[in-house]
Amino acid sequence: MTLLIALAIAILIGSGSYLLLKHDLIQVVVGVLLLSHGANLFIMFAGLQKGAAPIYPLAPNSAIADPLVQAMTLTAIVITFGVSALLLSLIYRVYIAHATLDTVTLADEEERQERAEESDESADDPEDDAAILVEEGRAL
Amino acid sequence: MLVAPLAVFWIGGLLLAMADGRRRDIGYLGAVILTIGFGATAFLGRDVLTYGPVEIVAGSWPTGVGITLRADALGVAFSLTATAVLLVAYCYELAGRIESRTFPALTLFLATGLTGLFLTGDAFNFYVFFEVAMVSSYILAAYGEERRQLRAAVIFTVVNLLGSVLFLIGIVSLYHVTGTLDMATIAARIPIVEENPTLIAGTFLFVALGVKLGIFPFHFWLPAVYTGVHASVAAMFSGALAMIGAYGLLRIGAGMLPRELAVSSPVLIVLGIASIVYGGLQSVSRHDPAAVVAYSAIGQVGYILIAVAIGGGVGYSAAILFTIINSVNKTLLFLAGDQSGRYAGIAYAIGGLSVAGIPLTMGFWSKTALLRTSMVGEGFPLRVVLTGVVVLGGVLSLLYMFQSYGRTYWHANAGPAVRIAPTRTVIVLMLAIFTLVFGIWPEPLLALSQRAALTLIPGTP
Repeated sequence: MTLLIALAIAILIGSGSYLLLKHDLIQVVVGVLLLSHGANLFIMFAGLQKGAAPIYPLAPNSAIADPLVQAMTLTAIVITFGVSALLLSLIYRVYIAHATLDTVTLADEEERQERAEESDESADDPEDDAAILVEEGRAL
Repeated sequence: MLVAPLAVFWIGGLLLAMADGRRRDIGYLGAVILTIGFGATAFLGRDVLTYGPVEIVAGSWPTGVGITLRADALGVAFSLTATAVLLVAYCYELAGRIESRTFPALTLFLATGLTGLFLTGDAFNFYVFFEVAMVSSYILAAYGEERRQLRAAVIFTVVNLLGSVLFLIGIVSLYHVTGTLDMATIAARIPIVEENPTLIAGTFLFVALGVKLGIFPFHFWLPAVYTGVHASVAAMFSGALAMIGAYGLLRIGAGMLPRELAVSSPVLIVLGIASIVYGGLQSVSRHDPAAVVAYSAIGQVGYILIAVAIGGGVGYSAAILFTIINSVNKTLLFLAGDQSGRYAGIAYAIGGLSVAGIPLTMGFWSKTALLRTSMVGEGFPLRVVLTGVVVLGGVLSLLYMFQSYGRTYWHANAGPAVRIAPTRTVIVLMLAIFTLVFGIWPEPLLALSQRAALTLIPGTP
């Protein structure tokens, strides 16, 4: 049982990490979700003992399941839910602004923007200004 | 008393979330709520420093069952600094124009998360407040909602979500081996637990906190985000949010897992040195002032790592002092670097001097504390190497700070022609004066950091 659960967690986290490295942002979101589910499963099985449901009245002399991990998992699930909704809406905004969800295209645009800014800077250099003045003098 | 700052930020955030933050009056209301919360934290801090730690168990549960909130000198020092940074960055944004309706509410939620995180005594609650702070910062990263900010926000969110998952796994592993979530009880039970499982849990937590701090192998997201987001948001991130990493290292590493920290101190020292050298060299080669400060942030956190690795009263108090002063420096640099004009230039220069550790600025005292720490390290060769690295880092920071200062402010026409908002310049100048005042009169900061360090050393109140 322990091995099976460990394997399930490993597959969830492994495939989540794989998807996280993909170019498509939707796949990245699915990767984040799988990772979080792996973590949630991990919490469930980090419980201290297994047994009957921890609800009063308790059956005498029987093992009671650890209720704390269940409470923690519930909290973690709620947080995952909120965060993935947020992430999806963020990606929707990216799609509206860039009309693409491909990270390579996004990175290309970033580079282009940086280069444009750098050429702006070099245009403002004092030497360049002098060159522009000289050219203007010639034109006159 | 203990819940007052939390309640002020939380309720204030909920109320402002329903209002339109772009309106001036709502903006001022946000500043007032932040100031009240800061005042409440300061009162709490005075109580803690005079009468000792304050502790309450939520919901009147018996001790050991309910979730504890605990304020000690370390938590109070961090929450005061973080709240102050948020207040300054918020006022800076308010002095210009708030562009999004959620900005005031999100700042307050970020303050809630950070205050809660610094004042909790429960490991899982630490994670929950961590997420409260992170979720607000994911939305804040997109503030401005231009293409650049949106790209930065996606990177920031995805990387930090991965960090959060690792953090959660680490916390739950600690629960599994100790059977409790109360930080003090975990610390008490850790010595009787086998070392290997706790080392694995510690590694998860260290990686998660390392992502938050932006130390060398986990820094890859940081430059793109810090240069992409708005200046005031960058100040909040590097001034307040990054403190989570330093606090976690101190509270969880030094306070709860001292044995594991001692085992892994060589790793911490190597990563710290790598951060300092990498951050310094990258900064020297950058042109944009925001990029210079972003890479400088990577270099500066390396010092925290080294100070925590050496440990002891000297190391911990140096790490705390350095974190607080570094937060103020980074806030000053990000905000001043966003402005143009002579006075902003003066403020930027003072911030630069403080990062380099020149006397008369606050930074001098943090560098002094670090040099002292590097000289108490074990073994002569290590001491020489560490002292050398601290000095090298200082020289590099002097170099890149003045390159960037010269490039931005000496060629007056080379800077971007941004209109100068006088109120913003006043805020930046006040922060610079603050740096100078505590550079000349560092006694309160030194005393605070020593008091805070004592809370991490067992056997002292």
